[in-house]
Amino acid sequence: MNLHESAADNSFRAEVQAWMRANLTRDFDALKGVNGPGAPAYDAALAKRWEQRMAAGGWVGIGWPRAVGGRELPLSQQVVFHEEYVRAGGPGRIGHIGETLLAPTLIAYGTPEQRARFLPGILGGTEYWAQGYSEPGAGSDLAAVATRAERNAEGPDGQWVLHGQKVWTSWAHESDWIFVLARTEPGSQRHQGLTLLLVPLRQPGIEVRPIRQITGSAEFNEVFFDGARTEGSLHLGAVGQGWKVAMALLGFERGASTLGQQAHFQHELELLIEVAKANGAARDAVLRQRIARAALGLHTLRFNALRVLGAEDGAAPPPAAMISKYAWSNWHRALGQLAVDVLGAAGNIDDGDARHRDLQTLWLTSRADTIYAGTNEIQLNLIAERALGMPR
Amino acid sequence: MDLRLSEDQRLIAESAADFLADAAAMPATRAAADGDAGIDAKLWQGIAELGWCGVHLPEDHGGLGLGPIELALLQEQMGRRLACVPFLDSALAAALLSDVDRDSALAARWLPALAAGRSIATLCTEPGGARAWQDGAQWRVQGRWSPVGSAAQAELLLLPARVDGDGTVLLAVPRRSAGLQVRELSTIDRTRRSAEVVAAEPVALDADACLARGRALGDALARWRALAAVALAAEQVGVAQQCLDLSVAYTQERQQFGRAVASFQAVKHRCAQMMVLLESARSAVYGAAARLADAPAVRERDMVAALALVEAHEAALFCAQEAIQLHGGVGFTWEYDPHLYFKRAQANSQRLGASSVWLEHVAALLLDEVAT
Repeated sequence: MNLHESAADNSFRAEVQAWMRANLTRDFDALKGVNGPGAPAYDAALAKRWEQRMAAGGWVGIGWPRAVGGRELPLSQQVVFHEEYVRAGGPGRIGHIGETLLAPTLIAYGTPEQRARFLPGILGGTEYWAQGYSEPGAGSDLAAVATRAERNAEGPDGQWVLHGQKVWTSWAHESDWIFVLARTEPGSQRHQGLTLLLVPLRQPGIEVRPIRQITGSAEFNEVFFDGARTEGSLHLGAVGQGWKVAMALLGFERGASTLGQQAHFQHELELLIEVAKANGAARDAVLRQRIARAALGLHTLRFNALRVLGAEDGAAPPPAAMISKYAWSNWHRALGQLAVDVLGAAGNIDDGDARHRDLQTLWLTSRADTIYAGTNEIQLNLIAERALGMPR
Repeated sequence: MDLRLSEDQRLIAESAADFLADAAAMPATRAAADGDAGIDAKLWQGIAELGWCGVHLPEDHGGLGLGPIELALLQEQMGRRLACVPFLDSALAAALLSDVDRDSALAARWLPALAAGRSIATLCTEPGGARAWQDGAQWRVQGRWSPVGSAAQAELLLLPARVDGDGTVLLAVPRRSAGLQVRELSTIDRTRRSAEVVAAEPVALDADACLARGRALGDALARWRALAAVALAAEQVGVAQQCLDLSVAYTQERQQFGRAVASFQAVKHRCAQMMVLLESARSAVYGAAARLADAPAVRERDMVAALALVEAHEAALFCAQEAIQLHGGVGFTWEYDPHLYFKRAQANSQRLGASSVWLEHVAALLLDEVAT
């Protein structure tokens, strides 16, 4: 155990700070501190230009192998990057599905042609990806996927033709490609007969309909496939092995970026404290205790992440990893409630104060955390069955 | 930068777990809890031989020269077994003695014996109405301190008292001092004893009995509180772990409606929530111990100490409560173990001040404009 930072990490920290200061300014001021998903102020076009600026600075794919164009930075520096990025007010990353989910999966399971074709667009911030997993009938029970894809015997190159519907698809309206978990073996059941397909989003066979969220904005969508097409070679991993690849992709979700997420939580907590001091909530005996508890809880999440980060790749996930999603999402949801409790009656009104609005948004957006990427109920099942060995 | 245990640390934790599974098995702990001595003497002997009592003490006083992390790892394992020994009190008293007075003859006399487990010490941090004064070369002290953990088992008591004009002093008081009375209290948790210490008439002490006073004492006690919080929190993690293990094992074995009750989602989710609190607490304790090992600034020190303690109390209290619940009817019997953990978890939660007190301290750090 040690919580020291090496001299190299320290100077790397200064490098990130300097770059962010020099670049997240002028044109990009409007993005500063904007969280992204669900944040009403998020300007997607500007966010894409920011991705390109980041790419030019060499800050995309910092953990990828050099052989595929990454920087192969050690884990400690990836952590430092994510922390400093958020601390400097770096906005939510519109490219994160491509960079943190699809790219590692391409590197692990893709063909050389697929890697050569798709990684440069992700690294350069020129191509954006959406995730096509959930369906109206396949939420927590993802293996119930019904979207189907068949080889088109007449089309060139054994093209895939897709029919079905995906839902909760973040940024589909701003993305160029979607990876789709589809049933490619007619009549197959559950985890069998699925394939992960890479499909261009902008084509006549696809319709994207935004879904209005409880925040009033629309960051996710329904995506309808009605004879949509993609090339025969664009299956990621073997045909029929889609479940395995799809699960591996979800495994890439953990990692250094969780500490960036926590730096963002720290921002929110500081804002909440600032408002509590200003409006007198900081003198309320009960709210004081809740604020203190929230601050300690965030510190615990950080220590928990540091226990996870040290774990060897490929080994069984350590206990701290098993509880991580449940712990952070419930902490964050409670922070959202605390935020409006600190606002008091003023929380019921949009009074035009940006700080108040941010806290109201936090209250609402944090409701999603305990639902997406495995609901609370699914997380508790996983903990009981996989970590504690209790019967299914 | 990470919180994995080093190879040596893993070895300490694993060998402690193995040793205690055998040496502090529940029948022995129950026998000691029922006995008058208030200590499992055979277990104490074993612990002393392993050198645990000096794990955190400097090598020149016979310690192993390790730190808060290793102390926490041992304490966690002892909490898991409710080891009926005065380890926590004695180790923490020795830590304070070593911090305030490490170069004195008194320290040279006591610390090697404490490190070797040949002697037992304890301390009290609240002077109450106790008063001390100098009488020629000697010190005199009069007062009442209660409760003092393991005082009836200890030979050396570190007791605070107020002095005229200069706040508080901390005195080294041999338990056998003439006129000093130690009466065991009837603790609800019989695996750990406390006593009332009374000096009804002035008790005479040696000239070097005063270990620290005033501001220096206040600073030392603040450092001590952080270490004590992390050690106690580690113990609560052990308590919570055993409650979870007992509950998972029992519900797997217990059949109702033709199946193991562990297969019901209501039961699985409860156990999973126990694990969430337990592992959060463990992360907090390991992180706090690793920070204390680096001697951080006061604000961070107090934050991580509070963090470890608040998380660990929450985990232990919840897991102990749910262990009784998940055992059903037998969870309410004397015969089954959950009640022993339930009592320890509660007693621990009040030992160093309630969580609400620690949270108020954190709130003051975060919310009030204070001069530092």
